[in-house]
Amino acid sequence: MNAIIALSALAILTMFFGVIQKKSVLLPLILSGLIIVFFLNVIEWGTFKHYYNEMFIADNFNIAFTAALILTTFLVFIFSALYYRTVKRPLEDIYALMLFSLIGGITMASFGNITMLFIGIETLSISFYILAGSKKFDVASNEAALKYFLTGTFATGFLLFGMALIYGVSGSFNLQAINSYIIANKESIPTLFYAGMILVFVGMAFKIAAVPFHFWAPDVYTGSPTLITAFMSTIGKVASIAAFYRLISITFLNVHDFSVDILMLFAIATIIVGNLSAMTQDNMKRMLAYSGISNSGYLLFAIIAMGPKSAGTLLYFSISYAIATITAFAVIMLVREERGTFSLQDYKGLAKQNPVEAFAMAVAMMSLAGIPPLAGFMAKYNIFSVAMNGGYVWLVIVGVIGSMISVFYYFKPIIYMYFHRADAHKKIETTKAYKIHILLVSILLIILGFLPGLVIGLL
Amino acid sequence: MDKNFIPEDYIPILVQSVVAFGFVAVTMLATHFITSKRKRIRTLHKDENFECGIEIKGNARFPFSIRYFLIAILFVLFDVEIIFFYPWAINFSEMEWMGFFEMLLFMFFLLFGFYYIYKKGAFDWKHDE
Repeated sequence: MNAIIALSALAILTMFFGVIQKKSVLLPLILSGLIIVFFLNVIEWGTFKHYYNEMFIADNFNIAFTAALILTTFLVFIFSALYYRTVKRPLEDIYALMLFSLIGGITMASFGNITMLFIGIETLSISFYILAGSKKFDVASNEAALKYFLTGTFATGFLLFGMALIYGVSGSFNLQAINSYIIANKESIPTLFYAGMILVFVGMAFKIAAVPFHFWAPDVYTGSPTLITAFMSTIGKVASIAAFYRLISITFLNVHDFSVDILMLFAIATIIVGNLSAMTQDNMKRMLAYSGISNSGYLLFAIIAMGPKSAGTLLYFSISYAIATITAFAVIMLVREERGTFSLQDYKGLAKQNPVEAFAMAVAMMSLAGIPPLAGFMAKYNIFSVAMNGGYVWLVIVGVIGSMISVFYYFKPIIYMYFHRADAHKKIETTKAYKIHILLVSILLIILGFLPGLVIGLL
Repeated sequence: MDKNFIPEDYIPILVQSVVAFGFVAVTMLATHFITSKRKRIRTLHKDENFECGIEIKGNARFPFSIRYFLIAILFVLFDVEIIFFYPWAINFSEMEWMGFFEMLLFMFFLLFGFYYIYKKGAFDWKHDE
């Protein structure tokens, strides 16, 4: 709760300093503000509180995921100075919208009432719709915003209809109350309740971009400004998966036999379609969009298995995915600015000319592919072992096959960077600060690979 | 509250949809049969929309300044926020000073939004980009 109040104040301050044209104040203000919010959030650790008739529940799960979301936003803001370095105006509207969508994400990780989930999703999504179109004079950005808006509102309709059906049967929006309804009427739950559950799952699957509700993701991720893509693909996914886990672990755990079938269908289809589609992409941004889709398949494993270590593994996987994706996008936005396209061909010989950036990109790709000892490997290993302990052997086999396919496309940029001769590209000039930041982020990814127990043990 | 529902509980909804569709069907059929069987004469004036007896000029679909839209949407925003004052005014005496300060905070955010759009040039009609 501290985090939400402080972040709202921070966002309004950002708007104020932007409108009085203090451009140089903005980024330091936001970065230091995010650090303060991070600590304000962490000091609540271990205290279980709920606010406003259990609308908002501040437990350890919420605090851990809030910390992960703030960390991710912090990393995105670090690279925003590079991305917007040619823009003269203060950009306070974009920064404020990013902070507001972060508030939506935090709400999604801490709801105790389905209406609160809906408010969180809408706060997050409406900010994303605007941010996707924030490159006003670019046709692709406009297309992304419109496509995201139309499909997103449609999915929200499904979600809302599902909530209405669940409310109609159980008589409450409160997660605990719905759970006690399920326990009391285990034998005689009407079909309408299951219909509501399916509709809610459809809405949530859209938000995490799980197959077959993934069609918006490649176009939206490709069309949006690169910094915003990095923000959307990490914050959106982490917050949605946290909301999904919370919904199922508190409310639908006693009808989990029913949810498992649907979720397994989602997970298997997501891993197969996501990985196979990513293989044929030449556009780096589009490839990472499909990589994001396939990663939500792995994330679903933890929700399907629902073991004692599920929450911790979900947190660890989310963090490692978010950091690796942001690192990759930070390099992509640099190469794109210098060479004009997102094509793989632009990465030829990058290792010779820009060794630091090529190293960061290689670390990010290897982490996403799951090469030990990086964070991505430990994340995948743990999530597979959670699924294995739950007895879902076939799911793990599909996951491993998908992971093997993914090595093919994650290694493509590495091969282009290290083993291809550059064709007449110049060295890309970067600032010293950028080099330090990107090195720090990739080292964070390596360190995180050695400390999985620390994160997983939290929850 | 009895929480076990059976499909029969939804009969009122079925009845309502039947009435809704039935009304459309019945009116269409009825007008078809009631109206005279004479050959219909189409003239320019008969095909026109009747708008208070004033003759129509041009098309409604023409481009207009985005500023009208901006003003309209800002009006809606502030108008809706006024709605929060009604329940507050009703419960004013019960909420005492706490409620008063909470409303001051709300007003602060409202006026900050006003200041923001003012600074952004939403009311700057002379200046054209």
